[in-house]
Amino acid sequence: MRLALAIAAFVVLIVHGVVFYDQFFHRWERHQTAYFEQARSLSKNERERAELEARAPRIEQVIVTSFGDTRVDRCTTCHLAADDPRFTNHGEPLKTHPYSTAMGDVFRDGRWERRHKFADFGCTVCHDGQGRGLETKYSHGEDEFWPDPLAGYATQANWRKDFAPKLKGVEYMESNCAQCHTATDFAGTPNVNRGRKLFYAMNCYGCHKIDGMSEGTLGPDLTEAGKKFKIDYLWESIVEPRANLATSFMPKFDLSEGDVRSLVIFLKSRRGVNFAETSLDRYKAHVENVAVVIPPGTAGEKAGEQLLADRACTACHKLRDKDGGIAPDLSYEGLIRDSDWLMDHFQNPRSRIPDSIMPAFRFPGDDFQRLSAYLGSLKTPPAPASAQTTYQALCMRCHGEKGDGNGKVAWYIDPSPRDFTKAAFMTPKPRERFVTSIKNGVAGTSMPPWGRMLKDEQAGAMLDYVLQTFTKEPLKELKPRNLPEKNPAAGSKESIAHGEQVFLERCTGCHGRKADGKGPNSLDILPHPRNLRNSWFVESVTDRRLFESILYGVQGTAMPSWMDYGLTQQDVGDIINFIRSTSKKTRSPQYARN
Amino acid sequence: MSDATKETPGGLAVLRELPSNVWNSIFRGPLPSTDLERSSTSFTNFFLHIHPVKVNRNTLRPAYTLGLGLISLFLFLILAVTGVLLMFYYVPSTTQAYDRMLDLRGTVAFGIFLRNMHRWSAHGMVAMVFLHMCRVFLTGAYKKPREFNWVVGVVLLLATLFLSFTGYLLPWDQLAFWAITVGTSIAGYAPLIGKQMQFVLLGDTTVGQEALLRFYVLHVAVLPAVLGLLIAVHFWRIRKDGGLSRPEKAADPAPATGVVKMRKVYGLQGFVRGPFTKVGNVPDDSVYSWPNLLLSELFVFVLTVSVILVVSLMFNAPLEQPVNVMHPPNPAKAPWYFLGLQEMVSYSAFWGGIGIPGIMVALLLATPYIDRGTKGVGRWFAKERLMANTIFLTLVTLNIIFIVIGTFFRGPNWTFVSPF
Amino acid sequence: MAVAKESHWTQPANDAPMARRRLLAWLSSVGLFGSVVLAAASNWFFFKPRVTYGPNARFAIGKPEDFPPGTRISRDVERVCIARDGNKLAAISTTCTHLGCIVGISDTGFACPCHGSRYDQDGNVTGGPAPKPLPWFQVTLAPNGELVVDKNSQVEPGTYFTL
Repeated sequence: MRLALAIAAFVVLIVHGVVFYDQFFHRWERHQTAYFEQARSLSKNERERAELEARAPRIEQVIVTSFGDTRVDRCTTCHLAADDPRFTNHGEPLKTHPYSTAMGDVFRDGRWERRHKFADFGCTVCHDGQGRGLETKYSHGEDEFWPDPLAGYATQANWRKDFAPKLKGVEYMESNCAQCHTATDFAGTPNVNRGRKLFYAMNCYGCHKIDGMSEGTLGPDLTEAGKKFKIDYLWESIVEPRANLATSFMPKFDLSEGDVRSLVIFLKSRRGVNFAETSLDRYKAHVENVAVVIPPGTAGEKAGEQLLADRACTACHKLRDKDGGIAPDLSYEGLIRDSDWLMDHFQNPRSRIPDSIMPAFRFPGDDFQRLSAYLGSLKTPPAPASAQTTYQALCMRCHGEKGDGNGKVAWYIDPSPRDFTKAAFMTPKPRERFVTSIKNGVAGTSMPPWGRMLKDEQAGAMLDYVLQTFTKEPLKELKPRNLPEKNPAAGSKESIAHGEQVFLERCTGCHGRKADGKGPNSLDILPHPRNLRNSWFVESVTDRRLFESILYGVQGTAMPSWMDYGLTQQDVGDIINFIRSTSKKTRSPQYARN
Repeated sequence: MSDATKETPGGLAVLRELPSNVWNSIFRGPLPSTDLERSSTSFTNFFLHIHPVKVNRNTLRPAYTLGLGLISLFLFLILAVTGVLLMFYYVPSTTQAYDRMLDLRGTVAFGIFLRNMHRWSAHGMVAMVFLHMCRVFLTGAYKKPREFNWVVGVVLLLATLFLSFTGYLLPWDQLAFWAITVGTSIAGYAPLIGKQMQFVLLGDTTVGQEALLRFYVLHVAVLPAVLGLLIAVHFWRIRKDGGLSRPEKAADPAPATGVVKMRKVYGLQGFVRGPFTKVGNVPDDSVYSWPNLLLSELFVFVLTVSVILVVSLMFNAPLEQPVNVMHPPNPAKAPWYFLGLQEMVSYSAFWGGIGIPGIMVALLLATPYIDRGTKGVGRWFAKERLMANTIFLTLVTLNIIFIVIGTFFRGPNWTFVSPF
Repeated sequence: MAVAKESHWTQPANDAPMARRRLLAWLSSVGLFGSVVLAAASNWFFFKPRVTYGPNARFAIGKPEDFPPGTRISRDVERVCIARDGNKLAAISTTCTHLGCIVGISDTGFACPCHGSRYDQDGNVTGGPAPKPLPWFQVTLAPNGELVVDKNSQVEPGTYFTL
C-alpha cells in the first residue's frame, strides 16, 4: 500500500504540473507577442519601440452595452492588429480589419478613419461569434452549443455537409447590419433587400407573419426567425420543408441558390428587436393590422391584373407565362368559377375547398372584388384541339402526364387528383358519374366544372381518351343494386346519436374522430379517406351513393364493403344522418367568413 | 523548570526563546515515537481524536469496506473546497450565470479545471454513497446497534442527491434548466402537498430567477451545513456503536472461573458507557490507529484525489446552449441519478415519481427495524442473509436497469431508440 | 525512528524493507508536498482576476485634431484630464490622491470638492490634505492615428507626449 500511495502521490503531482502548465502559454499570448515583435520592426521611432518592448500580453476586451444585453468582446486579444493599418497584408489573426466606404469609413489626410469604432460597437454585434471566448473553437462559435457562430465564416459540426459550403460568405453579415440599418433600400444590405422582395414575390407573406410586414397564420411566425434559428436550419427549412416536420404542407418553391441565400439572410435579420426602432415603433408594428402588405413603391394597384402581379399569386398559381408550379392554372378561371365562388374562396379558401392549403389573405375588401373581377374576365377558352392536347392543357397539371394522379401540383391538392390508371377504381363506376364530374366538377374539391368549356361531346371524348390511354380497360357492366334513393331513417336525435356511436366504433381509424379524413391510417392510404366534414361535397352526393359507398365499399380504394362486416341498412341510415348533421355545422356563415 | 523559582527572563533571552516558546505553545510535546505516545496524541489531539486509539483489524481490510465511505467523505471535501473557490466567480443571476460559466471556462486561471473537478466529484459522490449503502447492506452492517446510523446514512444519501440536484441548475444552460424543470415537475405529483412543495421549492410557478437563487442558497449554504452536521453524527455513531461492523469471532473465551474481569480505568474513560478499549482483558485483534488507520485514510485520500484529477484533466464538464425557455430539447432528460425515476414516470407520473421512490425510501429507512436477525453481520453475502440481500440487489438492479434505459434507450419524444 | 517495545509496527529482521519504507514515505511526501505547493500557487493565480468588468484602463480619446492647442478638458468616465500645450499633450489623473474623489478643473489647476485639496496646472499639490501630486498617464499615438491613454502606465509628471 505504501507503494501505491507513493505512486498516487506522484500522479497527483504530475497532474498538478500538467494543469499548471496548461493554464499558461495560451495561444493568444503567442499571437500578441508576435504582434509586438512585428510592430516593433515596423515602428519608426525609438519611443514607440520602447513602448512595445514594455508591453506584456494580456486579455483585451471591449464591453458594449448599447445593444441590448451587455456584450463582452475579447476578440482583439488575438486580433490585436485589427486597428493597426500597417497589417493590411498580414495573415490572420494579425490582419487589419478592412476599411471601406461602404461601411462608412472615410479616407482623410492620408489615413482611414473608421466609422464603426471598435470601442463603441465591439465585434460580435456585426460578426456574431462568442465574445467571451479565448480559444478559436469557442470564440468563433464552432462549438455546436453556441447559438451564434461567426456569420458566414464558421460552420458547426452538426450542420449538414451539403449545406455547409453554401453558408459561408461575407454577405451573411448583412443580417447584422440590418439590425440598425433597417431602411428597405439600404445600399449596404443588398441581400436583405432582395430577400425582403422575395418574401413578398414568392408569397411567403401569405402564410408567414412578420411583425410590421405580414399577417399570415398558416405557417410559423417568422418575426424572430433570426433570433431563434441558425442559418443552416433556415436554409434547410426553405429547400426541404418537410426535413424537420414530416406533416408540413409548405410548398417546395422553385428558387435558385442565390434566391435562397437572400431569403436566409433576410430571415436571419429578423430578430424581433431592431436597434434602430424605438419601443413605440416596435409596439405599433406588433399591434397594428397590416392592411397593405406590399411595400410601398411597387407598381400601382389599379386593376385586378396589376393586383395579381403585386400580390404574387403566380408564386403558386399559373397564369399565362408565369407558373409557380404549386396551385391550379388560373388561365380560364372565368369559365370555371363564378364570382360568388371566387369571393368566398378569396376570403377563406377553406370555405369552398376545406382541405386547401391556400392562405387566407387579409387584403382590403375592394381588392378581392378587383381580383375576382379580373379572374372572372378570363373567359377565353383554349383553341379546339384533340383530346390529347386538351388533356395536356387542362387536366395534366393535376392528373399527371401519365394519368396516374401525379401531376405537377398533385401533392398540394386534397382530395388528391384521381389516378386514372387504377382500373380497379375506374371500371366499376357508372359512366354518367365521370361525365358529371367533368362537366360539373366535384364540389368541395379542386376538380373544377369544365362544362362551360367542354360541350357534352367533348366531355365524352375526354372521358374516352382517359379510359383508353390510362385506364386501358373498359367500364364494367354494373349490376343494379337494391338501395334506397333517399335515406329512410328519419333524421331524429336518436338516429344521429346512434350513427355517431357506430361511426366512432368503426370509421374513425381512417376518417378520424372528427370525421375530417385525418384518421391515424389516413397517411398511408391513397386515395386519402374522404373528409366527411366537406359540406360542399357531402351535400352534392345523393343518399343512395352514400348507401352504396358504405355498404358495398368503393372498389379501388381502402373503403371496405361494410355489409360484410355486419353493418345493416338501418345502421348505415343512422350514419348518413350523422354525417349530414356534421356538414350542416361546418356550413355556418361564421366559419365561411373567417 | 518550576515557574515559581525562575526569574522572569529579560530582554534578549525572550527573543532567543521566542521560536521555541511559540512552537511549544502549539505542540505540547515532541513528535510521538512510541506506541504509547502515539496513542496518547491520538486520544488528545483535536483533529485525531475522531479516531479510536485502536481499531479492529477487519476495519482496515480493503476488501471489506472498499473504502467507499472514506471516498465519499473525501469527495465531499473536494466538492466543498472547489465549490467555495468557484463561488468567487459565479453569480446566481439568470442574466449573468451563463456568462460567468463562460468566463470560468475561458479566462479564469484554472477555472475550467476546478469546474471539472467539481462536476466529476459530484457525480462520483452520488455513485459512491450509493455503493457505500450497498456495501453496508450487503455486509449486514445496519443491524443492532447500528440501526440509527443506517437511518442517518439514508438521510445523507437523500441530502447528497438534493445537493447534486440543486447544483445541477447553476450553470443555467439548456441542460440544467430543463433537467430541473423535469425534476421539479415530478415533485409536483406528490399528493395533496405536491404543487405547494413545487411552488415553495421554485419560488415561482416556473423555473426562473427565484429558483436559481433558492437553489444556490440551498446548494452552497444550507445543504452543506446539513450534510456536514449529519456526517459528524454519522462518525460519532460509528464510534459509539463500537467501530465498523466485523464478523463475529468464535465465541468469546469464557474467563477462567473466579477471575474477575479487571477494568483498568484511565480518567474519564471509567465513566464512558458502551464498548471501549479494554486493555489486556480480551483477545486483541485490533491495531493502533496511528499509523495504520491514518495511513489507510491518507492512501484513500490521495487515491481519490488522483482519480478526480486525472478525470478532470481528460474530460470537460458540459456547457450547452444558454437557456431558451421557449425551446425544450428533445428529449429533455433529468440528471442521470433521476433518470430511473423519469423512466418510471413515463409509465405513471404518480407511481413512478412519488409512489415507488417513496416506498423504496421508506423500506430503506425501515430495513434495520424489520430485519432483526443477528446472524451474518460483518461478512459479504452471508448465507444467513440470503433473502435480505436478494431483495435488496433485485431492487438495486431494477433501478440501474431503469437508469440505463432512460440514458441510452430513450430518444426524441421519449420513444425507444437503439443506442448502437 | 526509535523503536519501542510495544510497537505494533512489525520489525523486520534486516533493515532493507525499512529503508524501502522510508524511501516510499519520502517519495510520497515529496509528491504530496509538491502538489500542495503547486496547488497553492494555482490558487494565487486563480484569485488574481485576469479580466475585470469595468471600463478599460487603456482607451482611445480621439485624434490630435480633436484637441486644439490650449485645450484642457476633463473626461469624467475615465477620470482623466487631457491638456494640450502647443504641440505637447498630457493626460493627468483627476482622482484626488487624498481619498479618491474626482477633482474639478479650476482657474489655477484642479480643486477637489471633498476635502479641499488644491493642485496646480501640472497636478502638483498646492494646498489641502492631498499627500501626493496627481499622477500623469502615458499617452501614445496608435497606428490608426488615435491618441491612446494608458492608465496602467504612469509617467513622470512633466513628461509630455509630443505630437
